[in-house]
Amino acid sequence: MPEELEIIRDLLDKQLVDREETKMGRADGIVLALDGDGPPRIDRLELGFVVLARRMHPKVEKWFEALRRRWSVRKSARQMVPWSKVLDITPKHIQLDVNALETPAFDWERWLRDHIVTKIPGANGE
Amino acid sequence: MKKALTLALGILTSVGGFFDVGNIATCTQAGARFRFQLIWAMLLATIVVIFLVEMSGRFAAVTGKALPDAIREHFGFGFWLVPFVILTLIHILVIAAEIGGMSFALHLVTGLPLPLFALPSAILVWLFLWRSTFSAIENSTSFLGLITLCFVAAAVWLRPPIHEVLRGSLPSMPSGSAANYWYIAVSIVGAVIAPFLFYFFSSGAVEVGWDRSYIPVNRAVAVIGMGFGSVISIAAIIVAGAVLAPRGIRVDDFHQAALMLTQAFPHWGFALFAVSMGVACFGAAVEVALSTSYTFAQTFGWNWGEDLDPAEDARFTLVYTVSLFVGSLFVLVGFDPLKLTLLTMFISAAVLPFVAAPMLLLMNDRMLLRDASNGIISNIAAALIVVMTLVLAVVSIPLAVMGGS
Repeated sequence: MPEELEIIRDLLDKQLVDREETKMGRADGIVLALDGDGPPRIDRLELGFVVLARRMHPKVEKWFEALRRRWSVRKSARQMVPWSKVLDITPKHIQLDVNALETPAFDWERWLRDHIVTKIPGANGE
Repeated sequence: MKKALTLALGILTSVGGFFDVGNIATCTQAGARFRFQLIWAMLLATIVVIFLVEMSGRFAAVTGKALPDAIREHFGFGFWLVPFVILTLIHILVIAAEIGGMSFALHLVTGLPLPLFALPSAILVWLFLWRSTFSAIENSTSFLGLITLCFVAAAVWLRPPIHEVLRGSLPSMPSGSAANYWYIAVSIVGAVIAPFLFYFFSSGAVEVGWDRSYIPVNRAVAVIGMGFGSVISIAAIIVAGAVLAPRGIRVDDFHQAALMLTQAFPHWGFALFAVSMGVACFGAAVEVALSTSYTFAQTFGWNWGEDLDPAEDARFTLVYTVSLFVGSLFVLVGFDPLKLTLLTMFISAAVLPFVAAPMLLLMNDRMLLRDASNGIISNIAAALIVVMTLVLAVVSIPLAVMGGS
């Protein structure tokens, strides 16, 4: 873990991987917490299309929210990963202490796999 | 030995990205209208593409990251969003053009209507991607691509006047319509420097696991792989210049181009052209479809890799499936493959600065590349390339309007 980090250069938009180094999205948002008089601290990383949409425009965020409610494959629009789950930060990626397959980041992947991809012969490479 | 075999990546990139439907269109038009006079444009494009491919491979070897990945990470989502959307449209248009090329080849061989082959061609490409691993794709496509060497054989057999060919290697003022001359010159450069080439090559280098020790290999692969595509393209210009130009055949339709090999190979020239075109477009469709998936997966941080089974990266698989389907629709509804190709090339020439400029910046980021960042020669080349892409971007649209006929 490096001693100093620049939030934008070293954290934002960076590849996130789980314990097994499975790629599970990017750091689409970073949320700081201000409590009391102390310096701000990083509270959590956020992932998801809605988080990206919010970076563009609040309207776009609303559209994405509406779309998600219409086809709610994902349980929640934004996935929040508390900073305490960060295992390691390397030049290549940020490693999180989670199992990607169990997180909302894989909801779509899982849905597509179960409903479409594995229905087609040859999907498991046999 | 393993490193020597990686040459296949270069040849694959070249067969797919260099000599494809775009090049067949522009090279035959160049030869048919201006004989050997536009060879210089191909040489210029080759030098540019060698530099850019070398840089994207070196970047991947040192950082373990492909370009779309690095661009989002370093310039942020806001910067990447617009080029990403435009590139996705280009990807789909190029897929459409390549499927058009494959369908045209099948139409030539069978005589059946071209749109009939749109879906079968797309399904063929899709099946290949669905079942294969990256190295299988790499090796089989580069092996099949060797068929395009028949253009070189034809060019040698036709014994073109050497002094004229050499004179064409240097830029000169056009002998005919100036607007048309520059239009074809720009489309040659636009056809060769396709944006997806660099995204594909760097993603491929990550897939096959290049590391720093591959930097010299990468250089050789860039020169030999792109050189391969260039030699074939120049041969196509020469053949078209020697065969089509004297008969006053202007290539307004791929049917006219199909005759160019029959002088050198009377019996099977027609079939050779069809097979070469089919193989080149197939390779390109595979490459572009993969490139679309790479770009999506890396932009959003999904799990990606052609070596994974489709069940392991469902979203990656979905992207190429949908793009191939949408691309084939253009051909199915009857868009002319040649017009589709030319349109696509001009749009991609217009977005080249978005591809070249971030690359130049990344290649000079010493925090990322340390001692492997660009040297003085690469930087001069890259700066000139960025200026050139800006000029191309500005002139491409007006030229397309003025010189397109």
